[in-house]
Amino acid sequence: METIKNYLETMFASLPNTAEVRKAKAELLQMMEDKYNELISEGQSENTAVGTVISEFGNLDELADDLGLSKEVEETRAKESEVPRRQISMDEAMAYLANNTKKSIFRAIGVMCCIIAVGWTILFSGISPVGGVCLMFVSIAAGVGFIVYSNFVDADWKFMNTELCRVDMATAAAVKERKRSFESVRALCVTLGVVLCIICWVPNLFAGRISTFAPALMFFLVGFGVLLIVYASNVYGGFEKLLQINDINVPGASYDAPGNAPVKYKSKAAETVVAIYWPLVTCAYLIVSFLTFHWELTWIIWPIAAVLRTVVVINCRADEE
Amino acid sequence: MVEISSDVIRGYNDTIILSILMKEPSYGYGISRQIKEISDGKYAIKETTLYSAFTRMEKNRYIESFIADEDPKGNGKKRTYYRITDEGKAYYGTKCEEWDVTREVIEKFIADKGE
Repeated sequence: METIKNYLETMFASLPNTAEVRKAKAELLQMMEDKYNELISEGQSENTAVGTVISEFGNLDELADDLGLSKEVEETRAKESEVPRRQISMDEAMAYLANNTKKSIFRAIGVMCCIIAVGWTILFSGISPVGGVCLMFVSIAAGVGFIVYSNFVDADWKFMNTELCRVDMATAAAVKERKRSFESVRALCVTLGVVLCIICWVPNLFAGRISTFAPALMFFLVGFGVLLIVYASNVYGGFEKLLQINDINVPGASYDAPGNAPVKYKSKAAETVVAIYWPLVTCAYLIVSFLTFHWELTWIIWPIAAVLRTVVVINCRADEE
Repeated sequence: MVEISSDVIRGYNDTIILSILMKEPSYGYGISRQIKEISDGKYAIKETTLYSAFTRMEKNRYIESFIADEDPKGNGKKRTYYRITDEGKAYYGTKCEEWDVTREVIEKFIADKGE
């Protein structure tokens, strides 16, 4: 099947990435897949089946005429020869991902250092207030340092933001695989991160009035929680970036399943609920905060709302594959 | 064995597809398989030919597409199905009449097979 996909990919390489072309590609792939599966079930070998499917595929020029794309094919060919799209190889893609993980770690540590900075002043307020303040500035400096450094780490990859790039099917599949296996790590990190942020005030309940350790610990817990969330979402962002690289008015490598592209909601009402969710939460946050004036506690609404939103979206989404 | 020439059959691809859709709605490969079966394996329509016929006929409103499942229980893979419209049926009728005339004329010329 991989061979067939690659063949189709090559055939479509010079076509623009319009909705029509994507649909044509998805439909043709479906037909080829059906034929391939039937040939295999008739007992043909994989190679013979692939051979038959490809030999009976036909000619794309015929299709370009009917899709009214002849002109665009010409234009794209001309454009491609002017500004060739940079091909990102499998090795490069893997190197990018490794680099992105490194960057995510630095960035996450940086954010944590900034958050825990206040924690130091509280922790040392009894022993040496000056030392605490010094540590706070050291912590902030280190945090900013890490964040700035994290931006240098991927200096080699900045071209991805400015140049048109593309990845081939095999690379996209490999990245998808990595993304899938990271999914559980991401879920764990985000959950743990949110839980840490929520329970951060618990130590205060058990600590005495004079204890400085518990309030300081609150900042450290939040800091670590945010570190986990930032790390997970940054690494995840790397996968998404690679997988989307073929989009935007360029020869595409995405296979849309028919009727599967945009998110569909169960009803108009469900769509509205999802759309007004954040404004609603913001209103609730402001109202509760102004009424109670416990701003130091009410921020908890945000992480809870973020978790709830996932549940709401899953329930509102129409069932499809 | 003499193979069918795609130039000759081109004008009748739409008619062939419509005749299959007259029976029931079907999807890409389903139609391609039926064409092969009905023609006793003498005509295998190319995927690109089939798809361009779909887009062309959909534009002309001879057929309509919809997403459906082969398995009525909904466990199968979703596919784009095509069904014939009233305009399509009318067009099919015209093409059938046209073919009768065409065949009549051509046969007058090739009846004696060059003997």
